[in-house]
Amino acid sequence: MRLKKVVATASVVACALALAACGAKGEAPGGNSGESGKLTIGASLSLTGKLAREGQLTQEGYQLCQDKVNAQGGVPVGGKKLKLDIQYQDDTSKPDTAAQLVDQFNDKGVKLILSSYGSANTEAQAAVIERNGQVMVDSAGADNKIFSKGYKRTFAVLSPATEYASSIVKAIAELAQPKPKTVVFLSADDGFSKTVTEGGMKTAQQLGFTVLDPQYFTNGTSDVSSSLIKVKSQKPDVIIGSVHLVEGVAIVKQAKELGVTPLAFGETVAPPTPDFVKTLGAQAENVLGSSQWTDTTKGQDKYFGTAKQYAADIKAKFGHDPDYHDAEASAACLALALAVEKAGDTSPDKVRDALAGLDTTSFFGQIKFDSTGQNIYKPMSVIQVQNGNAVTVWPTDSAEAKLIWPGTKQ
Amino acid sequence: MTAFLQATLYGLLQGGLLGLIAVGFSLVWGVMNIVNLAHGSFVILGAYIGWQVNSWLGLDPFVGMFVAAALLFALGYVLQRWLINLVVNGPIFITLLLTFGLDLLIVQGMNIAFSADYRSIQTSYGDNSLALGGVRLPLGRLLAFLVAIAVTIALVAVVNRTRTGMSIMATGMDRGAARLMGIRARHVYALTFGIAAALAGMAGTMIGMVGTFNPPAAGGYTLLSFVIAVLGGLGNMYGALIGGLVIGLVEAWGGQYLSGTWVNALAFLVLVIVLMIRPSGLVGRAYYAARVEV
Repeated sequence: MRLKKVVATASVVACALALAACGAKGEAPGGNSGESGKLTIGASLSLTGKLAREGQLTQEGYQLCQDKVNAQGGVPVGGKKLKLDIQYQDDTSKPDTAAQLVDQFNDKGVKLILSSYGSANTEAQAAVIERNGQVMVDSAGADNKIFSKGYKRTFAVLSPATEYASSIVKAIAELAQPKPKTVVFLSADDGFSKTVTEGGMKTAQQLGFTVLDPQYFTNGTSDVSSSLIKVKSQKPDVIIGSVHLVEGVAIVKQAKELGVTPLAFGETVAPPTPDFVKTLGAQAENVLGSSQWTDTTKGQDKYFGTAKQYAADIKAKFGHDPDYHDAEASAACLALALAVEKAGDTSPDKVRDALAGLDTTSFFGQIKFDSTGQNIYKPMSVIQVQNGNAVTVWPTDSAEAKLIWPGTKQ
Repeated sequence: MTAFLQATLYGLLQGGLLGLIAVGFSLVWGVMNIVNLAHGSFVILGAYIGWQVNSWLGLDPFVGMFVAAALLFALGYVLQRWLINLVVNGPIFITLLLTFGLDLLIVQGMNIAFSADYRSIQTSYGDNSLALGGVRLPLGRLLAFLVAIAVTIALVAVVNRTRTGMSIMATGMDRGAARLMGIRARHVYALTFGIAAALAGMAGTMIGMVGTFNPPAAGGYTLLSFVIAVLGGLGNMYGALIGGLVIGLVEAWGGQYLSGTWVNALAFLVLVIVLMIRPSGLVGRAYYAARVEV
């Protein structure tokens, strides 16, 4: 009797599981179709693994975009409003997985994609997007390589890698008095950082700086002492790091330990993030950094309003000051939503064409893509850490404060 | 020349810290034949404990490291006594899998508890340095180095001179015989694992003071511990320290004469060469390879 009951229960469970499996497979999840009243977008994100931090910020940006758009009822498409439904998958910071997840979204009929974090992941995804006829808006893959392969279906809202260090060099050349003479680049050895360094060195040479040999170290290392010891004897006026947060922190910390004292430090990516100041404390003072976005960026849009409003929304929802990683993610999602609205359709081909022709203002500045998919209007801002806050010092028309020079106590 | 001296000094200090990271890993492997893939996550957990007591209570990391050590000892003891002991007699693949799973759990747990933000334990003196001619001696790293040396010497004293230490070594050499002598192997194993975790926790707090950390960094410290343990050799408590110093110096010197990208490969190259010449590591003891498993 008892046994029968167990068998019966077991078979019910088995059936239910089988049905669920069947259902999951057979169900058309709405894809991008408007029938369900939803606009499904796929996003593979680096929620774990070495890019977990940036991946989480990217997710915040996407999530705020979904909330903002849905607060207004959704994206207007052909007389109906479709609610944004962003589906997240964790790619564990691995490009292969990020690319596979794009394929999986495709199998489920999800054709509109928001990119993962970082150039390596995005580059891997872009190839798959092209093959599958999907469309991707890239929020954080800045390496110029992504845009040199003739892809037609990947659009990036952010400035390309070559601008990251160049903008710092330009700001110093324009604002620093007396103008420093020698610059050295300390760079991580991943593709993105190398492109940043090459771009920065070229600009520095054009602007008349003496550019010393660059020093490369392993991507993600927290020990850059070898590079610092090597440049110490050359006494560079400016040290510019093409780095991520961890190497950026190491440069400033270890430079102090080793007594390396240039007139200023400039670093891509690291200084605008709140962690930089939290980790370094007083040592972060006056370090220059480049940022894809600051809250003084000009422009507004109907979902986020102005950059200041955006900053307040991030603070209210996630409890921290906005990071440009948040903003670029929201901007990518915004571009996709606006393109769907403009296309009046959710089919990938029409959305692609609408993205190619998009020209709009936003809290992220003006967004318009060139034929390679890069945002042609996007300038980068240069910030300086002053009294524990990252304030915009360049370009001068959106500057909040004057450049403090020299940046280090001599 | 100044650059060379500076690199050497920095490499030595860094190497001492690397040795402290690896010493527990080496101990667990030597005594129990467990390659503990969760070791790096213990190191990072120690860093978080040091950071947390620093931000809550303002405890200096050199005090905080004892809190980290105590908590991790408890965690290590419990894990070994009631979990890893269940499979410790199985093939090494099973313990490898179990500790790999533990690593995933702990790292993801820290990700949830502390987020993936980078942290650093700030002290007023950590980044200061003493100028010796043209060479700088960073204070925080010097203190961390001294801790590493002191801890290693203390560990050797415990293992060689105390009853507990000798029972650890005896169990490592021949579990069957040790049990016949009345040693409770389960308890001794748990103690060993606890001590190893405690040392990892101390190392973690030191890392938190001189550098930055976040949960995903755990994997790197496990790999590093593996290389250092193999290089130094098992069965000698000084092995990890010597392995760490060698890696620290090789990386520092390599960094001066090669492109930075090559430095990682260099550490492994040294490992391969040492293993070709001395298969049991720099100061390892061969009898560990022939130990009796009962």
